[in-house]
Amino acid sequence: MTKSRSVILIVVVIAVGLAIAAAQGLVVKVQTTQLRANPQFFGPTLAALKAGDRLEKVSEANGWIQVKTAAGTIGWIHSSAVTQSTVALTSTNQNLKTQATASEVALAGKGFNKQVEDSYKATHAEVSFVWVDRMIQIRIGLAQVQDFLAKGRLAGLTGGGK
Amino acid sequence: MSASKSVRLSAVALVLTLFAASCAVLEKGTDVLNTANKVADDVNTVKTVGEKLRSSFADITEEEEYYIGRSVAAVILSRYPVYQNDALTRYVNTVGNAVALFSDRPEIYAGYHFLVLDTEEVNALAAPGGLIFVTKGLLRRCKDEETLGLILAHEVGHVAAKHGLQAIKKSRLTDAFMFLGTQAVQRFGPQEVARLTTLFEGVLSDIVEQLVVRGYDRASEYEADGLAVKFGARTGYEPGSILRFLKTMVGDKSTASGKGWFKTHPSPEDRISSATKAIAALSSAPRIDTARTQRFAQAIAAMK
Repeated sequence: MTKSRSVILIVVVIAVGLAIAAAQGLVVKVQTTQLRANPQFFGPTLAALKAGDRLEKVSEANGWIQVKTAAGTIGWIHSSAVTQSTVALTSTNQNLKTQATASEVALAGKGFNKQVEDSYKATHAEVSFVWVDRMIQIRIGLAQVQDFLAKGRLAGLTGGGK
Repeated sequence: MSASKSVRLSAVALVLTLFAASCAVLEKGTDVLNTANKVADDVNTVKTVGEKLRSSFADITEEEEYYIGRSVAAVILSRYPVYQNDALTRYVNTVGNAVALFSDRPEIYAGYHFLVLDTEEVNALAAPGGLIFVTKGLLRRCKDEETLGLILAHEVGHVAAKHGLQAIKKSRLTDAFMFLGTQAVQRFGPQEVARLTTLFEGVLSDIVEQLVVRGYDRASEYEADGLAVKFGARTGYEPGSILRFLKTMVGDKSTASGKGWFKTHPSPEDRISSATKAIAALSSAPRIDTARTQRFAQAIAAMK
């Protein structure tokens, strides 16, 4: 191997390495959640997050991940709210790509989505979604759960986590 | 050592370091980590290093699970009327959200939501995505908040372990992923939507059949009981309450019990034996508290 080929190899290796390193970011997978000041559900929040928001992992502890947002805020999010992302990994060889990955489908908002539900509804008049929509509207806030736990003399108040 | 040799060695070391670091966080893709040279020679294959193509129920996205769950819930609600009692619904949702918060999957696409079904049949059902149903007949058999907490934790366990999604036939999932994959980054046209809707109907029918007719396999039920004990105890509920509940069901031959939960679940005797082991494995177990028993009695009292 000549010296120039070695240099090219190093450049390629670094490029591939950086692409993979970039892939180690996280993406919020739940509709909405909060960036929290501490690794627990109860307590101060720092920012509102939504599905598709990209985060950078800082550290990890007991099912919680310390992350940095695009705006530079550092806080905690429960591991069940995020997924690994594969950013900037676009193959130039389309023959290799006949199917999408879960991340691509999620980020494109495709797959089984509202459009498919609407189509299902149109052909199944006997199946009503009225109560499903009402059910989704029932919301118990974290403060209410915290109060409920306290009054019932329940639990360590950390919440969530393996 | 010559300069070029040391450069080559450095390159190999760099390759190995980068891969070691990336592999730790990559879920899949070890199949292409055969040699560093292979990747270095063909940058195009990096696509498959990042993430494998969708192949199993675990690759269903959070949003897809939510939409599947909504339709499964709608089908369940076309079979059972809703028991409309705002105070009771709110109480059940509060207990349910409390145990969900202490589960292994506290965050879910659109949150956990619970409804009471207006039937004396003893049953509880969990649609994917965290839409959970409990019947009036089952609530009547709960003696206290501990029991309700453990039963809802059992259903949250099914959701957390994605048992509903596992009911989807493998061949159907493969067809759906193939189709969705090729269409994923394009806009769906009418033909694509029609094809997707047919696939969607199949997915729903697999899940509803399992939830309502056949029931999960025994291993899934024991797993959900184990998770109920774990999540319930973390919340602060006395885990032995699940045993007391199951004991009241031993030998129950009433019509209400012959359907629903008892048709789709293993025998109470077998579940008692399995749950007892899960309780024994806990490092410490919370105790029952009168504050909770009283508020449970109050919430249930208005139930007609």
